[in-house]
Amino acid sequence: MRRPISLYGLTFSLPLLVWQVLFFVFPLLFLVALSFWTVKNFVMSPDFDTVNWTTMYGRAVFWQAYGTTLAMAAVAAILTSVLAFPAAYAIAFKLSDTARRWAVFLMVIPFFTSYLVRVYSWQIFLSDNGIINVILGWIGLGPYQMLNTVGATMVGYLTLAFPLVVLLQLFSLVFIDRTLIEAAHNLRCGRLRTVFAVVIPSARTGLVIAGLFCFILSFGDFVSPVYLGGGEPTTLSILITDTTKSGQQWPRAAVIALTMIGTLMIVAFAAVKFAYKGKTK
Amino acid sequence: MSRDTLVSFEGVVKRFGGFVAVQKLDFEIKKGEFLAIMGSSGCGKTTTLRMLAGLEAPTEGVIRLSGKPINNLPTWSRDTPMVWQSLALFPFLNVRENVEFALKMRGVGKAERRKRAEHWLDRMQISEFSERNISQLSGGQRQRVALARSLVVEPEILLLDEPLSALDAALKVRMQSVLKNLQRETGITFVYVTHSQSEAFSMADRVVIMSRGVIEQIGTPQEIYRTPRTRFVADFLGSSNLFSGKVSASAAGGQDLDTPAGKLRLAKDAVALPAGSTATVTVLDTKTHLSTSRPEPSANAVPVRVIGEEFVGATATLYLETRQGQEIRVQKGHDELADLSLEIGQELFAWWKPEDSHIVAEA
Repeated sequence: MRRPISLYGLTFSLPLLVWQVLFFVFPLLFLVALSFWTVKNFVMSPDFDTVNWTTMYGRAVFWQAYGTTLAMAAVAAILTSVLAFPAAYAIAFKLSDTARRWAVFLMVIPFFTSYLVRVYSWQIFLSDNGIINVILGWIGLGPYQMLNTVGATMVGYLTLAFPLVVLLQLFSLVFIDRTLIEAAHNLRCGRLRTVFAVVIPSARTGLVIAGLFCFILSFGDFVSPVYLGGGEPTTLSILITDTTKSGQQWPRAAVIALTMIGTLMIVAFAAVKFAYKGKTK
Repeated sequence: MSRDTLVSFEGVVKRFGGFVAVQKLDFEIKKGEFLAIMGSSGCGKTTTLRMLAGLEAPTEGVIRLSGKPINNLPTWSRDTPMVWQSLALFPFLNVRENVEFALKMRGVGKAERRKRAEHWLDRMQISEFSERNISQLSGGQRQRVALARSLVVEPEILLLDEPLSALDAALKVRMQSVLKNLQRETGITFVYVTHSQSEAFSMADRVVIMSRGVIEQIGTPQEIYRTPRTRFVADFLGSSNLFSGKVSASAAGGQDLDTPAGKLRLAKDAVALPAGSTATVTVLDTKTHLSTSRPEPSANAVPVRVIGEEFVGATATLYLETRQGQEIRVQKGHDELADLSLEIGQELFAWWKPEDSHIVAEA
């Protein structure tokens, strides 16, 4: 039975409510309204015109950027999840309690430095005469172009999401009932097979949520595609800045932003639904 | 080692760091028997089972399965399926998938897997739930799934780690008969770890009683009940009265035990103990009788006072106290009690025949 909201309870939840309305609901509604405004001679005026939606959705470049962004975020989510899992697994199952605490601490350290700074430091490694190419040169290889490639963008996405994904995976792995693992071993399921047959299904919720976080962070990221990917291929976040710069087209940028929000909502909803599938309690 | 031995523990020791969980286990498990390992928590019974399952490696000694040492065989290479206290059913698989799991791991084909799983689901009377999630089952149904999951590979031996402890009393009794019948019908050796005397004694062919990492006694439930070997076993079972004292030669031949409660005659066929040594005798509470008048001199009699009574179904437990303040328990039928018409505080005699008592080891 639901209890009626008391004045007492309301007092404490009010700040959050005000915050949400002021800084989330209101800007979102404004963004929706903005997407129907019109721009004439570099001047924006309130309007109700679907022209921005039809223009943007009619452009091949928009759909290209959309496809690219979606694909890159999906690849980042899978790549990060796959690379993070052995780390999270080792921390959860192979380390002592003390070592595990240290490992968690180490995973938090990257957040001490701004993401932008970390991405800039990657430039020093990846540029044509950067650290990696110099080292490769010593053994007679390269130089290879690494900066301004999709691969470099991926490195950026990994930098952004990897520690978080490890932590989220870790928290789902440490709560696995260890007797389930023993039971699997006892029923002739070997070590590696147990990882796929028992550990991953048991930790599914956390693993999916971790991947989802990586997807969300990568999907909206502007820093890596620009400073490591060199702006090529164009992602939706780059397209937004380009659109606002070219002729004050804020309403069209709003269309892109709303499309991104919609996409993330659908993906997040589907992911959460999948993560909790079969869990009825 | 005889031919009907399935498992033997030879000088098995298990230490966890400085803690000795099991010290020097030497015993055998016979083919096709229902063996219960019983003791209070921390006695090493679960560690023993886990070593047999390959979930722990012995620090010293050898464990043999069908004559072959299995110390270093990982659990996934032995056929020693276990039923866990928590059951450890896979919540992400449905009932049928849980039962098929072990077969899948052995590379049994899909059709065959299904057939064998269905056979066991049927046998455990849970086939109607085969497509359900584990979370949708009751405790008793889960129990049956866990049994089917372990038995589907038709192993030689099944290990059970207090599987009934989570069930309510009525269901527990029903599952006990299910387990016992299952064991009898399949002929699979059951090794059943429990802290419950009623579970061990009602199901097992032989019972191992452990305390602080050592075996106190192995025997059939009757043997252990009638003749507890050590003071610990007698105390643990709680169905005997114990008297300690010094051995002396009896005027009537044989030996006496000088206890604070008086001179007690030892059974004639008891092993002769050196005079002056200390010993403890036990006598079952069902073999201890009451009488308001002094019993005949051939019986051992102790003057006692009634301090309380407790009704348990068909019998009642009477609590008495010797003059020295030692508590004595007596089991009596209601009719017999009515004849005695006792009151709290009343003084009378507790007595037993010397041959109903026996000496226990002072360990």
